[in-house]
Amino acid sequence: MAGQNGIDDLGGEGGRMKVAVLGSGLIGLDLLAKIERSKFLDCRMVVGRDANGRGLRKAAELGYGTTAGGVSSLGADGQAFDIIFDATNAMSHIEHHKHLESLGALVIDLTPSRMGHMIAPTVNGADASTHRNVSLISCGGQTSIPILHALTRVYSPSYIEIVTTAASLSVGRASRLNLDEYIDTTQAAIRAFTGVNDVKVMLNISPAEPPTTFRVAISMVGDDFDVDVIRKHVTTVAEEIRTFATGFDIAACSVLDGKAFVAVEVKASGDLIPHYSGNLDIINSAAIFVAEQYAAGRVA
Amino acid sequence: MNEGIPDASAPIQRVSIYDPTLRDGHHAVRHQLNADQLRHYAAAADAAGMPVVEVGHGNGLGASSLQVGRAALSDDEMLSVVREQLTHSKMGAFLLPGWGTIADLKKAISHGVDVVRVGAHCTESDTMERYLDFLRANDVEAQSVLVMSHMASPERLAEECRQMVGFGATAVGIMDSSGHYLPEDVSERVAAIAAAVDVPVIFHGHNNLGMSVANSVAAVRAGATVIDACARGFGAGAGNTQLEVVVPVLERYGWSTGVDLYGLLDAADLAERELMPQPPTIDSVGIVSGLAGVFSGFKARVYDIASQQQVDPRDIFFELGRRQAVAGQEDLIIDVALDLAKRAA
Repeated sequence: MAGQNGIDDLGGEGGRMKVAVLGSGLIGLDLLAKIERSKFLDCRMVVGRDANGRGLRKAAELGYGTTAGGVSSLGADGQAFDIIFDATNAMSHIEHHKHLESLGALVIDLTPSRMGHMIAPTVNGADASTHRNVSLISCGGQTSIPILHALTRVYSPSYIEIVTTAASLSVGRASRLNLDEYIDTTQAAIRAFTGVNDVKVMLNISPAEPPTTFRVAISMVGDDFDVDVIRKHVTTVAEEIRTFATGFDIAACSVLDGKAFVAVEVKASGDLIPHYSGNLDIINSAAIFVAEQYAAGRVA
Repeated sequence: MNEGIPDASAPIQRVSIYDPTLRDGHHAVRHQLNADQLRHYAAAADAAGMPVVEVGHGNGLGASSLQVGRAALSDDEMLSVVREQLTHSKMGAFLLPGWGTIADLKKAISHGVDVVRVGAHCTESDTMERYLDFLRANDVEAQSVLVMSHMASPERLAEECRQMVGFGATAVGIMDSSGHYLPEDVSERVAAIAAAVDVPVIFHGHNNLGMSVANSVAAVRAGATVIDACARGFGAGAGNTQLEVVVPVLERYGWSTGVDLYGLLDAADLAERELMPQPPTIDSVGIVSGLAGVFSGFKARVYDIASQQQVDPRDIFFELGRRQAVAGQEDLIIDVALDLAKRAA
């Protein structure tokens, strides 16, 4: 099987990048499933803080090495890693990023800590080869930024607004404690990727049963929007993103009263998480994409 | 617990009235109240002895947006104008985590907010922890409410409320955001919550099915001691519980509110004169949104989009109900209207 970046097998387990996953919540467990499918990544350690927690026990059941010793235990025994995924929470990442960087691995941060170099794979994925700590911003950022980046090359909106809605069951404890960080980091990233200063990000967590599919509503205020031009651009972006996150779909696209509106829905592509959890899938798929691209660069 | 009309020998039970006219009412006028309107109503409510006067964008601090509507005034302007008018009443504000942030709370505190209601959808109370912690650390009274509460069982609501108390909320309760409840629904839920917590229980009604006063009475009978109501029912959709009705009704039942009747009626008359083009009525769309269990605040946007897309606004509400749209998901209205228009074409 060809890898997700279209590169050849690196030559079995020995050639794979040695990977550690910090955090054993919803994001961490889905990452493990995606790493398992990758020809280029080999998970050597899952790091948590509670040996009896459901996440670490699950990881151990799946046959992964685990430690409940927290981040400081990583590297203590001389074990080296090429890539470390941080799926803890923003406050923890800020506390332990120095230790992670001292280990010499590429750190891919999935928390909204705003510490590392921000990456949206289809826009600036190659930057991972020149930075040691990269940030994947947020699920809403990964979903909206490629679209906004494309549209702001055609239009100059005066205002951008994003509303994400995620199903209650798909939002873990860390995310619930990081709502402000999610908002601040996503807003900062959108400003950086679009050059538009006036940006507002909001989010809903929905109690609907059956759970609602992850959705990101994008609105822009500006002049001369043409719905056909917008549709053409967002369709192209969606096709690019579907090469690594297959459940990415444009749900609506309209122009009304000088406002452009694009709604994206993301379904999770199988694995351990339910289909509505597109919020987990989009950021983890981006993380795997970046990691594999980095792996390809290292062996080239 | 109250089991009905208190008998004459029993001590008079107190019910605390919470007045969100200048917050929920914003939904009815696309968040366009100006400084004079806020000033005049706040002064009248204060004179009536209203315990709490809440002010803000309809969805609370930080929520002015395309999604829900942009407010005419900033949060800073609203809070400072109302603060100046209140001599007895406490000033309240509303915060939905995910819409407003700690930065917005800091702003409200700098304007002297006395009470902040932190809200979340009915199963999401753990999103409130940081905000309740922050308010407590800053000596601001922190209450906590579950929005769209008809979407969860009484047991689940009680469990969420217990958790909110654990986070430091000094009063907890439910909002009937869609105006969907009948009195029995309210009794069951409030009783479950009152049995689970040892802080005052809040009920916030909407009048889509004409039941909001009856629902508020049912809530008090089941143990609620904080009742939300708005002058002339000025609020989202078909309106809230009508303040100047529910207060004397509760008094007739024997509960004491401490609100002055003539002051209350004056404030309500002023509200009708100055705040609204007309008092809320239960129109067709209001009834449908109550039946469908959809947030009443969608009404203005549904009307706009229905006329643009030439579809029946009632069909939009029923379809939103089928999709279980929650408050904050105004972005679904366009999708639903486009789908309905496509099906009709």
